[in-house]
Amino acid sequence: MRAAPLVLLASVAVAHATDYELSLDLRAVQSDGRQPYLDRGQGKLRYDDNDDGLHVGRFRAALNQPLGEVFAAHIEASSWGDDDKNPIDLTEAYVEYRPYPRAGFRSRVRLGAFYPPMSLENRARGWETPYTITPSAISSWIGEELRTVGLEGQVDWLGTRTGHVFDLQLTAALYGWNDPAGTMIAQHGFVFSDRQTTLFGRSGEPRSDKLPKNELFHEIDNRAGYYVGAQVRYLDRVVLNGLHYDNRGNPAAYDPAIRDFAWQTKFDAAALRADTGNGWTGLAQWLSGETYIAPAGMWWEWEFASRSVLLAKRYGPHMLAARYDHFEVEGQFGDEEGHALDVCYSFEPNARWRVALEWLRVRSNVETRAGLIPAQTPLATESKLELSVRYTLEGVL
Amino acid sequence: MPRTAKPHSSAILTATCMLHLLLCVGAPAASAASLAIHVQKKDGKPLVGAVLTVAAESPRLPPAAPTHAVVDQVDLAFVPDVIVIPVGSTISFPNSDAVSHQVYSFSSARRFQLPLYRGKPYPPVTFDRPGLVTLGCNIHDNMLAYVVVTDAPFFGRTDAHGDWIATNIPNGTYRVTLWHPLLSESGASVERTVHVDGTERAELAMRLSRALRPAPISSRPHSWDY
Repeated sequence: MRAAPLVLLASVAVAHATDYELSLDLRAVQSDGRQPYLDRGQGKLRYDDNDDGLHVGRFRAALNQPLGEVFAAHIEASSWGDDDKNPIDLTEAYVEYRPYPRAGFRSRVRLGAFYPPMSLENRARGWETPYTITPSAISSWIGEELRTVGLEGQVDWLGTRTGHVFDLQLTAALYGWNDPAGTMIAQHGFVFSDRQTTLFGRSGEPRSDKLPKNELFHEIDNRAGYYVGAQVRYLDRVVLNGLHYDNRGNPAAYDPAIRDFAWQTKFDAAALRADTGNGWTGLAQWLSGETYIAPAGMWWEWEFASRSVLLAKRYGPHMLAARYDHFEVEGQFGDEEGHALDVCYSFEPNARWRVALEWLRVRSNVETRAGLIPAQTPLATESKLELSVRYTLEGVL
Repeated sequence: MPRTAKPHSSAILTATCMLHLLLCVGAPAASAASLAIHVQKKDGKPLVGAVLTVAAESPRLPPAAPTHAVVDQVDLAFVPDVIVIPVGSTISFPNSDAVSHQVYSFSSARRFQLPLYRGKPYPPVTFDRPGLVTLGCNIHDNMLAYVVVTDAPFFGRTDAHGDWIATNIPNGTYRVTLWHPLLSESGASVERTVHVDGTERAELAMRLSRALRPAPISSRPHSWDY
């Protein structure tokens, strides 16, 4: 066939173009938050009462590079406008294998560093929530502490492509380099922040003048962790997601280089999201887990749980969303319990602009606040008003 | 208008087929050269865009002549998302989006893949077996379209009023098949036999007995991944 070589040439020529995305998210903040979890405090917000004013909320650069026909590389890099170790750093980087569906089944394999498929909230690009500026306690924690650095496989039964109303997805992964996961829950419990820890960056508080913040993506015990998950979808309306996660950490293993243990962290998570044809979204999330370390033969334990519900309504480019969170940690050195209310209006008129205004209030009782120097009252109510203006540029290289 | 029933066609036959679709045939006493079909949803409102094929049971008639059609990809959607073509027809799948798409079908009537592309790098795809072909994009899971490939001599889609008229039909017995992507019935196809006899118009009214599935949600903000 004479056309065949031309077709082949054309496909090779177009298949290797690179999609890119750049976005800058500027914030204007008014906060009465306590000294935050990122700055030796036990405040629950990203910005405290010293941070009123303008900030770079996020600068993001993303690349999608097809590699041949069924492979693609995805790279997400971000700067969070703070004094992190690297001014810009990766949040995700992986190669995906997407063979064509066959007989109603489809498989996916990802290799690299990426988020486990458990947030039905953070559905926008760059693992952001489209509903609010600040995600739920559960998504904030995932963004701060978790990353799959390993291999994940998915199998989809594409029922909606074969005349049925349901799709089904099963996921399993093996991973390493996330042994410190659990450190942040122990250090400051749940927080409310859209800041995602970068792969080579740090989070948490500086532990002393000489000891920097925590690095969370290290392998310490040379034991692979796993997760298994399932997702059921009804048309494009309802999604039910479940995940069991266990990093199989050896809680006695210690890495002197980063001065951290291999935290043994496991949890179960479930989420249900329903979208209607007239712009309503309802979302419920639940997570319950525990993490341990065993320093010098002792056994230290933290149990953590959170639930949240969100209701949103879109009116064309406008959206109103409200979310309620409840969270609790039974800690080795003190407990915490709290709840939060988030109300957000957002306006996304086109592919380039998004403007959002959020009011967030977190009320929390954190027993370890009494041990801070100077001591604080355990009970705190923190609130902030935040305006986000995001500009996005996308194209083909 | 096809719903303007003549006095002699007022004797409406009502039947419920095994797929719970209510079918009504306005049987003309005299003769007909066209077949007017009106399709209603369960609530009585017109069913827009339903695919109707009219196959000849006797006398046998050849399929309609093959054509060429275009299914474009615009704003992460196939345009149109439903198309009916005679067997042997071809379809071009240009990609008018800035991002690449990968078109596939694993339907038994026509399996094919168009590797990742922008613009219009491929020759048209030929559909040489009758049946329903479901199209997807391997990159964008929400993209979905249907190609109905028919060997019937007459076919079409209902308009905004739920109407479609087949004209110049020779006298004979025909099997009318209705299909719509949101039909609740599994298998998603209903059939009815109708006799066309003479030079006047035959009329067929069809009303679904079950509500349609919800339509896919459109107009999600651009930045949403899914």
